[in-house]
Amino acid sequence: MKKQFIRRIAALLLLLVGVAGLGSKNAHAGSQENANQVKIDNFSFTPTTLTVAAGTTVTWTNSDDVPHTVVSDDKVFKSKVLDTDEKFSYTFTKPGTYPYFCSVHPKMTGTVVVR
Amino acid sequence: MNPFDPQSALLAKHAQHVVLIHFPIALFVAAVAFDLLAACRHSRELATAVYYNLTTAAISTIPAAATGVLAWQWQLEGKHPKGILLLHMIFGLLSTALIWIVWWLHFRVRRSPGGRLPAYRIPIELLSVPLVALTGHLGGFLSGVNSPG
Repeated sequence: MKKQFIRRIAALLLLLVGVAGLGSKNAHAGSQENANQVKIDNFSFTPTTLTVAAGTTVTWTNSDDVPHTVVSDDKVFKSKVLDTDEKFSYTFTKPGTYPYFCSVHPKMTGTVVVR
Repeated sequence: MNPFDPQSALLAKHAQHVVLIHFPIALFVAAVAFDLLAACRHSRELATAVYYNLTTAAISTIPAAATGVLAWQWQLEGKHPKGILLLHMIFGLLSTALIWIVWWLHFRVRRSPGGRLPAYRIPIELLSVPLVALTGHLGGFLSGVNSPG
């Protein structure tokens, strides 16, 4: 009876550890995902400079109340006009520095550094 | 961009609207101010200045509105208007209509000798000024002029 109780407690603990592990893995995946995100808000790109590894897909999300675009200085990538909550993604395959701006508001600038 | 390069200045996708819109705004606000003064002082000279200011303001709404539509089509790729853009468009249309209505009230009187300006033009003008200002304020947000930083 006592052995059975201990086994149940051990199983429950294992289950809890497993769930916690899964949770932390998801949290880790979440933070990884956030690492490749650029938020457009208050007429600025955040982070202004993003450093990623080659092959990474970067996603820009317009959280502003006005439309914006994401256009690289050397026309490597160019989004359509992004309304509020719309996203644009681009996969950087080659290492280098990619400065970009918003073509509607050219004073909004940012840079993606690919290593 | 070179500021003295005519091509970059004239063909910039939305630059003209941002420049031209100042004309109807300034002329209309000045016309309303002069009209209030003219009404207080019973000044014919000021009333004449009001009429010409209003005429120029009304005419300048045409290129301002046209370039606004072009900016929407070119710069914003004809994006379905919503939020600030939609409000700016609605208020812009209302402001344009009110400027033309106020001009027509003055025009009608000037065409009929001995005609008197109706008193109800004053509340219309006083309603129009904040609407024009609000339209410009929203336009400033869209263009980034009113943006932080």
